[in-house]
Amino acid sequence: MSVARAGIVLCGGRSSRMGRAKAWLPWFDGRTLIEHVVERIRPAVDEVLVVTSVALDLPALDARVVRDREPERGPLAGLRDGLAATSAAHAFVTATDAPFLTTEYVDGMLSRRAACAPVEEGHVQVLSAVYPGEGAAVAERLLEEGRGRPRDLLEALDYEALDANDPALASAPWKGFNTPDAYLDAVRGEDPDARCRIEFLGRAALASKSPNLEVPVGTLGDVLAQAARACDLDLDLVEGEQVARGHLVSLGGRDLVRDLSLPVGPDERISVLDAQAGG
Amino acid sequence: MSGIHGRYLRIDLSRGTSEHVAIPESVSRRLLGGVGLGTWLLLRESTPGFDPLSAEAPLVFAFSPLVGTGLTTSAKFAVVAKSPLTGFVCDALASSHFAIAGKRMGIDAIVVKGACETPSEWVRGVLRPTASWGRSAAETTSVLGGEGRVAAIGVAGEQLVRFATISADGRHAGRGGLGAVMGAKRLKAIVVAGELETPIADRTALEARADRLRARAAGPETAKYRELGTVGNLLAFDRVGALPTRNFQTSHFEGAEKLAAERWRGERAHRRAACAHCTIGCEQRYASRPGGAADVRIEYESQFALGPLVGVADPDAVLASSARCDALGLDTISAGATLAFSMECGERGWLEGAPAFGDDLLPWLDRIATRDGLGDRLAEGSLRLAREIGDEAVGIAPQVKGLEMPGYEPRALQTMALGLAVSSRGADHNRSSAYEADFSEEVDRMHGDARSVAAAVAAEERAAILDSLVLCKFVRGAMGDLFEESAAILSDLTGEAWSADGVETVAKRIVDLRRLGNEREGWQPADDSLPKRFLEEPIPGGPAVGARLPAERLRDLIRSYYLERGYDESGRISSDRRTAFESELGLDLTGPASGGADDA
Repeated sequence: MSVARAGIVLCGGRSSRMGRAKAWLPWFDGRTLIEHVVERIRPAVDEVLVVTSVALDLPALDARVVRDREPERGPLAGLRDGLAATSAAHAFVTATDAPFLTTEYVDGMLSRRAACAPVEEGHVQVLSAVYPGEGAAVAERLLEEGRGRPRDLLEALDYEALDANDPALASAPWKGFNTPDAYLDAVRGEDPDARCRIEFLGRAALASKSPNLEVPVGTLGDVLAQAARACDLDLDLVEGEQVARGHLVSLGGRDLVRDLSLPVGPDERISVLDAQAGG
Repeated sequence: MSGIHGRYLRIDLSRGTSEHVAIPESVSRRLLGGVGLGTWLLLRESTPGFDPLSAEAPLVFAFSPLVGTGLTTSAKFAVVAKSPLTGFVCDALASSHFAIAGKRMGIDAIVVKGACETPSEWVRGVLRPTASWGRSAAETTSVLGGEGRVAAIGVAGEQLVRFATISADGRHAGRGGLGAVMGAKRLKAIVVAGELETPIADRTALEARADRLRARAAGPETAKYRELGTVGNLLAFDRVGALPTRNFQTSHFEGAEKLAAERWRGERAHRRAACAHCTIGCEQRYASRPGGAADVRIEYESQFALGPLVGVADPDAVLASSARCDALGLDTISAGATLAFSMECGERGWLEGAPAFGDDLLPWLDRIATRDGLGDRLAEGSLRLAREIGDEAVGIAPQVKGLEMPGYEPRALQTMALGLAVSSRGADHNRSSAYEADFSEEVDRMHGDARSVAAAVAAEERAAILDSLVLCKFVRGAMGDLFEESAAILSDLTGEAWSADGVETVAKRIVDLRRLGNEREGWQPADDSLPKRFLEEPIPGGPAVGARLPAERLRDLIRSYYLERGYDESGRISSDRRTAFESELGLDLTGPASGGADDA
């Protein structure tokens, strides 16, 4: 089926500075960031494609999942795979960490029917831009030539540079985050009272006066400290920069972690488990 | 070599005789005791392709060098036989005074062969008719307990249910249907007693080492087992999307809260107990109903299999089902999983008269144990029932090699998925314990890779040593380097110099021997896999929603595992290596071309 407008979400990055897959970071109302971004794009396009590596499972989305054939080659390879997978004349392309994206912005960008991207203080926002469908073949050629930046593609497509100071773009919906602090700042900016849920299981439940609590979002270290104080926990959960050896923490039911610097997001459910599983 | 007696007792039930047979010291050095020695005895005492329910089938009770030493958790024995459920080498462990009393007979193992003409019991050298046929193992033990330590089967074993257990001191050698092997011999019970002490080379050093291990085993590394027991797993597994629910259709159970041990603590009487010579005391007993006495022993595997897996959220019902399985002599995992499978088949319209998810299990457990009506077909296990129904049913039967799967969702625990697929015993959490890596930061549990392979191999080897020494898995966290500490223990015990490398070599040898045994009995590469469901369907909901284990990924993991083990691409051990095993161990490991679960 031929479509006119597509949205492409690139989420193959390793999120190494964040320590957690960005796609699965919580973003209010029990939704993950990838769910939120897809929801924002969906009304403005005929189809949404999510380009991801095989190493990342995704929640159920109103989108087509496209596998990034060469995740090690960076975003241009993913962009190529996304453009190649759609018959749309134009596609709006974004990264996963774009919670401030609006349907109106995507609609406005696609209404230009041409390659275009905002430019802010000299930086081309290549992952908040429109690419024409034929960009797939151009991206392939650029990759073969060893030119792996999305900006090379935009330039090869003779894109229109949009002034980020234009009032229509003033909300800077391309703003994202790469570190726990930046993510938590964004969350608190949206809701200063954002909270997460913590549940003590196993031995921690036996040692706690209240095994289920709500505390403000923060790093895992912050959250555990607040919860331990709030429920008068008779157990030491922290050992240096890590969760103590006898315990393990589940973030949102997916990541099993001990690193106290990881971020815990809004409405996220954290479970403190015994590390000795099985038997 | 101290620590062993260097002989086993071969009982011939057909003739009513018994004799001592020497075990070469070289075999004890190469395989230790427990599952290592037991596998050797099974293969030595049988011919390739034998029927596990025939008179010629050996049933081995293997003790170990550490039995009788006083080391915490060492009072364990292995029952080894060809499984009537899988058709492959099977071993099941139990902790009890049976191990201590058996070894005090001056033997390292008992091999039972032949079959009785009428139901009988073997009591300290005397084979006699039994009055306990039709009774539970516990009732049988109360009748015979005055004459020694008892290992007995329940009604399920008598009826050749392919997942019947053998019980001793209320603990069960549970997996693989070894109770049916005993039942096929019309042997209700074995009673052992003796006075011979285990020879120990350096008793003072070993006792000091035992004291240190006992002290560590009282520390934080075993705290979870002491304080909550394995039942503490259920809610944790639910929260991480790893709790198999409704025949593995999903991995999150809406009734998990009601079945959580954390909640039971405030609702019903509870007490802890311990196996013989164990200072951890992981056994948890709960009142079967609020207000009652703490009378039912429950483990996570029973709790999951008789709860979420069959859609039951009523704790009274789960505790009652667990107690009924123990009384009948049924493996709780296979019983629950076979019932869960039949429930899904019923929902799909494939099996008339099947129970429904959430139904009361008690009448169904009775029907299985007595082979009454549909219970007769369920008593054959999920794979045989699935094959009767058709290929689609085989794809959702929760088993590997015919053994029903334990309570670990493989799509959400992919190191464990590999461990389950390649385990010689079938879907097995005790001969691999690869889940340990999944519940850590060591691997990405949702995406198995090279780290998962290394972790699965290491976990298998640790288990092989613990199961041959024998020590309980729960003491593993209290041991520093398992191989080093085992070598030190063995050096004190045997008076011979053991090294960590030497112990690790034994572990690898035991893993390989079991694989060679399976090859002899007809193992084929396709036997190392998981049911189609896990390879084709993502987890549909809950915390692990979307988790997938594509067939290609599992194949890659298995191939890497073979490579790591030095097998060929199809998982076979080279003929040169097999010949070396045959020569070192005095075994004939060449088997017929077919066999396995198809022929069992």
